[in-house]
Amino acid sequence: MKHGEMNQGTLRAYLDGQLYSGQATAIGQHLEGCVACRKELAILRGHSMRVQECLNRLPDSAETANTAIAWAAFQKKREDSMESEHNRWTWLQKISLLSGSVAVVAVILVLTVAPVRAWAENLLAIFRVQRVTVLEINPAAMKNNGLENNQLLNQTISRVLSDEVTVTQKPQRPQLIADSALASNDAGFTVRLLPDKTPSSLLLESGAAMQMKLNRDRIQSILNEAGRSDLHIPESVDGATVGVRIPAGVMAFYGNCGDVASRMVNPAVAKNVRTDNDASVQHADATCVSLVQLPSPIVSAPQQIDPAQIAQVALQFLGMSANDAANFTQTVDWTSTLVLPVVRGESKYEQVQVNGNEAALLRPTNPQRSDRFSLMWVNNGIVFALNGTGDDTTAINLASQLQ
Amino acid sequence: MSMSDRWIDAEFETIFREHYPRIVRVVRRVLQRDSEAEEVCADVFLRLYSKGPGVAAGGQIGGWLYRTATRASIDALRANRRRGLEEELEVNEFVAVDGHAKSPLADLMRQEHIAEIRGVLAKLKLEKAQLLLLRHSGLSYREIAEAMQLSFNSIGTRLARAEAEFSALYERQQRRSLKRQPLQTAKEGQ
Repeated sequence: MKHGEMNQGTLRAYLDGQLYSGQATAIGQHLEGCVACRKELAILRGHSMRVQECLNRLPDSAETANTAIAWAAFQKKREDSMESEHNRWTWLQKISLLSGSVAVVAVILVLTVAPVRAWAENLLAIFRVQRVTVLEINPAAMKNNGLENNQLLNQTISRVLSDEVTVTQKPQRPQLIADSALASNDAGFTVRLLPDKTPSSLLLESGAAMQMKLNRDRIQSILNEAGRSDLHIPESVDGATVGVRIPAGVMAFYGNCGDVASRMVNPAVAKNVRTDNDASVQHADATCVSLVQLPSPIVSAPQQIDPAQIAQVALQFLGMSANDAANFTQTVDWTSTLVLPVVRGESKYEQVQVNGNEAALLRPTNPQRSDRFSLMWVNNGIVFALNGTGDDTTAINLASQLQ
Repeated sequence: MSMSDRWIDAEFETIFREHYPRIVRVVRRVLQRDSEAEEVCADVFLRLYSKGPGVAAGGQIGGWLYRTATRASIDALRANRRRGLEEELEVNEFVAVDGHAKSPLADLMRQEHIAEIRGVLAKLKLEKAQLLLLRHSGLSYREIAEAMQLSFNSIGTRLARAEAEFSALYERQQRRSLKRQPLQTAKEGQ
């Protein structure tokens, strides 16, 4: 073997006996006559021995793992985990009511919740939602990324979140509340209700707040896990502390919404309800309308973080090409826009106007459910989501009454 | 192996029982507390369960488990250190280590040395620390390449670089320890 063909990797593999026999023989012959390579080999051997010696000092627990106990503990953990999966993204489900990939909504919210204005005196950029736009996601690209596996993504993210997130205000269970005056008082903003209609239930949702210290390696590991090691989280993200505050909100239900409100107030009811055939289940009908309203969530982050740059990574993660991501990023005002991802083929959407505000009108494509609408808009810093059954005019007229 | 989206329970239990002892052994080397190591392992198997049998398409469950477990354990080690949860040194009576009785002082020094080695591992880039753990757990280059989803031909080079960096960091660590010791001795003598 020629000297030019020798390299550190081959020599290291030679040391470990990890080469094909012919290759090892050729290297052995070369080493006999090459001082430089012998020297290099000695250095590599020294490093390897040092590592071996150190790692051998780490406790190789003499106690044999008790697999039976571990299996029992694992089963318990699995049950707990599956239970919490049912309850995890309820806020997002309620506010967006998007069918399909709710985990993807969470990812893009975490990564792109829209910025609003720089607040130089605190060296923080304060992000506040002022408008909503819709981004259509290609389900084929998501499938390739493994993103359709809601549970997996939740597991990966929850592991990172559990280590890096400090919850400064823990969300409480929703509470039934008597009227809009009390709701306004408790929520801290003027609650708007549909005129000439009495809500069948009014719920107060507590606020929540958390801080997350961003660890670039770990966020990158989520991308790697999804097979997207080609995407790179910017260095500027590392070590930055991002704060998220979701203010208290109010949900109003009108018409026959079944027992959805009582199940939110008392999850034990939901837990006992297992099948649609269960006689105890109270189903909602076409008269059901729900209205969610809450002040814009606020995300604070150091100014070194460029949300557009992070958004580009997020969009590519969701299956967009680099060019399309760059183009889309330029069309969005990242200082004020909440981007709602919609899975192509599962939901259809259009941009409409509600009292002069841009709104996103979404419907499931499933013909059996396509009469249901979800309308989302922002007015004076309050995010609204109105859900019900009917055509576009019904939806927009209903929303316009909230003026 | 089923290729459906969900594991059959008996199938998953077999995999758990087959791989758990090896995986927990590697993780216990990285983390001081056995309880934490077991928790990390349970999380790793939970992820495998969530991922479904598709992960075994190439018959590489072992590799996937090694990769995920080493990453999770290094993550946990770093998180502990960031939170200031350095290793707790325990003062023990005469203890038996490797069949030999050790004095409490010798045992403390041994524990301190282990903490330093883990500290060096925590400072390495994640992939480098994983490579070292996998290689020195006895995996072949072929197995490491499969587990880490790297090219077989690149393992030698990557390993050499990881070992060189570990050695350099370790040497620096030892020099710092040596500088500290005379100072401590002087302070104690005052």
